[in-house]
Amino acid sequence: MLQNELFNNVIRDFNAGYWELHVDPSREIWSEKFYEYLGFDKKEIEPNIDYFLEHLIHKEDVDVFRDNFLNYRQNHINFKQHIKILTKEGNYKLFRCATNDELPVNIKSEIYLIFFFEIKLEPEQDISKDNFYYKETAQMTATGSWYVDFHKRKSYWDFETRRILEYPDDYIPSLKDSASYYSEDCRQQAADLFFNCAMAGTPFNTEIKMVTANKRIFWVRAIGKPVYNENKEIIGIRGVFQDIDDIKNKELKLQRSIDIIASQNSRLFNFAHIVSHNLRSHTSNLSLLVQLIEDIEDPTEKINLIKEIKQISSSLNTTIEHLNEIVVIHTNKDQERKLIKFQDALNIVTNGIGQMISLSKTTIEADFSQLAEINYIPAYLESILLNLITNAIKYKHEDRDPVIEIKTYIEENTKYLKVTDNGRGIDMKLFKDKVFGMYKTFHYNKDAVGIGLFLTKNQIESLNGNIAVESEVDKGTTFLIEF
Amino acid sequence: MSHKIGLACIIDDDSMYVNLVKRIVEAKKLCKNLMVFQNGMEALNYFEALLKNLDKKCIPEIIFLDLNMPVMDGWEFLENFTKIKSKIDKTITLYIVSSSINPVDIEKAKRINSVKDYLIKPVTIEDLEAIFLGEVL
Repeated sequence: MLQNELFNNVIRDFNAGYWELHVDPSREIWSEKFYEYLGFDKKEIEPNIDYFLEHLIHKEDVDVFRDNFLNYRQNHINFKQHIKILTKEGNYKLFRCATNDELPVNIKSEIYLIFFFEIKLEPEQDISKDNFYYKETAQMTATGSWYVDFHKRKSYWDFETRRILEYPDDYIPSLKDSASYYSEDCRQQAADLFFNCAMAGTPFNTEIKMVTANKRIFWVRAIGKPVYNENKEIIGIRGVFQDIDDIKNKELKLQRSIDIIASQNSRLFNFAHIVSHNLRSHTSNLSLLVQLIEDIEDPTEKINLIKEIKQISSSLNTTIEHLNEIVVIHTNKDQERKLIKFQDALNIVTNGIGQMISLSKTTIEADFSQLAEINYIPAYLESILLNLITNAIKYKHEDRDPVIEIKTYIEENTKYLKVTDNGRGIDMKLFKDKVFGMYKTFHYNKDAVGIGLFLTKNQIESLNGNIAVESEVDKGTTFLIEF
Repeated sequence: MSHKIGLACIIDDDSMYVNLVKRIVEAKKLCKNLMVFQNGMEALNYFEALLKNLDKKCIPEIIFLDLNMPVMDGWEFLENFTKIKSKIDKTITLYIVSSSINPVDIEKAKRINSVKDYLIKPVTIEDLEAIFLGEVL
């Protein structure tokens, strides 16, 4: 009895739907839970096998259940079966029914019971639906999930993570080599993000370059957040990778276009100011001169002043020629590029200024061994070399003969030309922003015009290159051209 | 008309402009002496030397400063000049005279205390007269 009581308690706690069998069929009972499952009141249905078979169980299940039931009642043969039972609402619910040995406790009972566990069809369908939607969403958005488990020291990828990273479905990600999933220039960034997330719990959401199994580098949005246990300790990082290569490349392309447009716009703006300023200085002189001529009574004085117009006119011409040169650069940029040997271009330049070089005792040390030729507009390359060499000679140091080192090389797929001199140098603190400006001169030379480097910069930039300068007073100057 | 201004100073690299202003000043007898510096550096050297050997007669009452000049431009001169101006015990009125019509330049100039006004080239004879004569009013 004690055992029975214990058993009853267990059953009550278990809160299951069951059918208690009895030798006398009229004493058989159905548990509260079973009524509850079906939604019927005790008075509405009869708890016996005949009623059950006739009214409640689905026709499909009648034969099997009847056999199982009678066998169990008479011969105590345990069984398991899925059956559909009618509810008060008029639809069928699916149950897994099982006998004593299915009980989750280790108590042998003398009573024979059939348990009914409801199989919740709808939620299960929901899960499979969710799973379906999840897979669809993952595939359509190219978003893979992953989890890094710190205790097991393992990382887990879902099917989509494997797919976007081009690994086979059975590939097991390696936590040890996790850096290799990122492109080399992004490994530090990835390490920092994961470290911060693991140590400080800082979630991340970033764009980063990853490497696929086929060594293809592509852009990914990586989102991750820490996973905590009950003790608020970080036990892992969960997150997603989304393939954003197309979008990111478009964005980068757009950004490059914007940069080009912005730099062109700024050059145009600059040019407009140069034109305005340089022409205005002549026209204002002209206007001042005319005022003076009108104001002065003395005829000889007037005639003298009229002669000044010639001077203004000639300055105006020079300015317009300079401005023309700049315009020509920007209209010429579509001119045909040719494969030119640096040595050939240098020869043309040094032949042209042979006298200047020998008079100034200039030594030119050229090293084109790393990069011998370039696809460029020949006239520009010659003009660039000419300007940099003549500058180096013009602004040589008074204590020493000029030595000009010219070197070409490739670094990270970019071609460079470096021209270093041992001249008097430029005070970069004072002239940093002005080196390449128009009509900017930094030395007291009378023949300093201030147009050469401005033209050089314009030529280089019109072909999407860049020029930078480093200099130290009394030591020399280095110009670095990035083609 | 007697000379009202003793000494004026032009800092400008445009020799044609300087020449013309000189002639106007002479013809109109606007001041006794006119000093000319070709760039900010030359002018700054003069003022720094003046500090060591302060002779009030050598301090200009008016400065006409150009902005775009080689070696040291007008802005740099202004920066240095503002530092030493307080040590000079004489009112110096400074005008910027430039052909730049860039609003950025004009705004920047107006924010500098030691700049009295910004004149855009071409200046007129009337402008010059007003400035020289206006100084004594």
